[in-house]
Amino acid sequence: MRTTRLTATFAVFLLAIASLVVVGCGSSDDTTGSTGGGGSGESSEPLSVGSDIPYPPFEQGKAGEYTGFDIELMEAIGEKIGRTPEFTDTSFETIFRDVAQGKFEAVISAATITEEREKAVDFSNPYYLSEQAVLVKEGSDIKSLEDLDGKTVAVQQGTTGQELAKEELGGSEVRPYPEGPDAVNALKAGTVEGVIIDAPVAQNAVEKSGGVEIAEKVPTEEEYGIAVAQGETELLEEINKGLEEVLDDGTYKTIYEKWFKLEPPKAIFSASHEAE
Amino acid sequence: MSEFFNQYFDFNFMGEHFGEVFDAFLKNLLIFVVAGALALTLGLFLALLRQLPGKKFMPLRAVTIAYIDVFRSIPILIVILLISGGLPYLEFIPKDIRIPHWFGQPDPYWYGVLGLTLVYSAYMAEVYRAGIEAVPGGQVEAARSLGMSHGQAMRHVVVPQAVTKIPAPMLNELISLLKDTTLVSVVAFGEAALIAREIQAETFNASAYVLAGIMFLVITLPMARLVDKLIKRNQGKITRGSHIEVA
Repeated sequence: MRTTRLTATFAVFLLAIASLVVVGCGSSDDTTGSTGGGGSGESSEPLSVGSDIPYPPFEQGKAGEYTGFDIELMEAIGEKIGRTPEFTDTSFETIFRDVAQGKFEAVISAATITEEREKAVDFSNPYYLSEQAVLVKEGSDIKSLEDLDGKTVAVQQGTTGQELAKEELGGSEVRPYPEGPDAVNALKAGTVEGVIIDAPVAQNAVEKSGGVEIAEKVPTEEEYGIAVAQGETELLEEINKGLEEVLDDGTYKTIYEKWFKLEPPKAIFSASHEAE
Repeated sequence: MSEFFNQYFDFNFMGEHFGEVFDAFLKNLLIFVVAGALALTLGLFLALLRQLPGKKFMPLRAVTIAYIDVFRSIPILIVILLISGGLPYLEFIPKDIRIPHWFGQPDPYWYGVLGLTLVYSAYMAEVYRAGIEAVPGGQVEAARSLGMSHGQAMRHVVVPQAVTKIPAPMLNELISLLKDTTLVSVVAFGEAALIAREIQAETFNASAYVLAGIMFLVITLPMARLVDKLIKRNQGKITRGSHIEVA
């Protein structure tokens, strides 16, 4: 009697599992069906992209609703090549190692193309030409980069601004903050006398935060690129193709003007073509 | 796999960067020593305030308890960020205190010391309190019946006994404090974690992290062993009875 009961319970249990499996299969069939019907085909798989957020106006916003110049540009490129970017917030010092290790497929993070970085990753054609800015408190006596020598200077850790400060300001105490806004806040709080940081970030701080001004812009021949792991030639070519289309059809100009309130420099159009 | 070892266990690389990381680690120790001494002192002070008897001291006790509860409950990282970001703006405070450069150390050092002291003094107060409450109530009663004031009883009878009961938990807190000194990197103070990050950003080699970790181990491991020894000794005292005195 007892055995029969046990067998019966077991049978019911099996039946329940079986029905679950069937239902599961049914619903997954449905999803495949609808994706296929959408017509975007096999290339619609998402593109995982790493970025150090926040770094306004290049990347900003909360998780899931990231925005900024880099983000919108990457989305525009993604549209051209049929892959929707999915962004992951990560820290800049490890970003190239992570893309090289395959943690994500691409990096767009206001990253300057440098020889040293090219040893670890491959870069796309440049998508942005940059300058460094010397940011000081409003009404400060500091008018140029040289004036900062011997003063306390804030930079963002691992950035070109930090390199510039190390090269040009031998007599200064250079403080590397984890994020750009921290460096700007240190300036406003008066614990440092200047910040060396990417010009658009400085411009954004002047507009949004106030109380600070740009003393000097230092051209650095910096070009920003999208990084992929070495050997990912196919993906790199697709990104370059997407970037070219975005530049040619005016999308780039629209995004640029939206975020920088300026016309894009003419050189970017030739810069992104000449590498071919 | 070999890439992993190249990235994290490149001993030649560690040798090349030893000086840099070691200098930075000394800064961790400097934060640790100053913040540790301040927290031990302030913590005892707080614990004693908390033990003040009678209705008269109720407000003081309440403020002390509030301090301890608040600082035990806020992440140290946030405390340090709030101090370094907020304190300099308080213009009614003299500039030398808002943006301190005492003893040749830059302001991020002092913001870190202040943040860690605020939080760890609250932790330490709880450790002292455990020690004080472990002294049997009869001791205080006896001291008071001899005509000692509350303060005298604390000073001559309770606290000397209390501190013999707590070296182990105290050392545990100190180990945590030493490790937490790396949090001061968020305000751009060039201690070991920040320098290791910087070395990695420049060279794409993470071995400096491991090197910094080893330096911490060299200090904290003996401390942990010592904690074990102290606990064992204390248990011996309890289980075998008080007639066995260990000097």
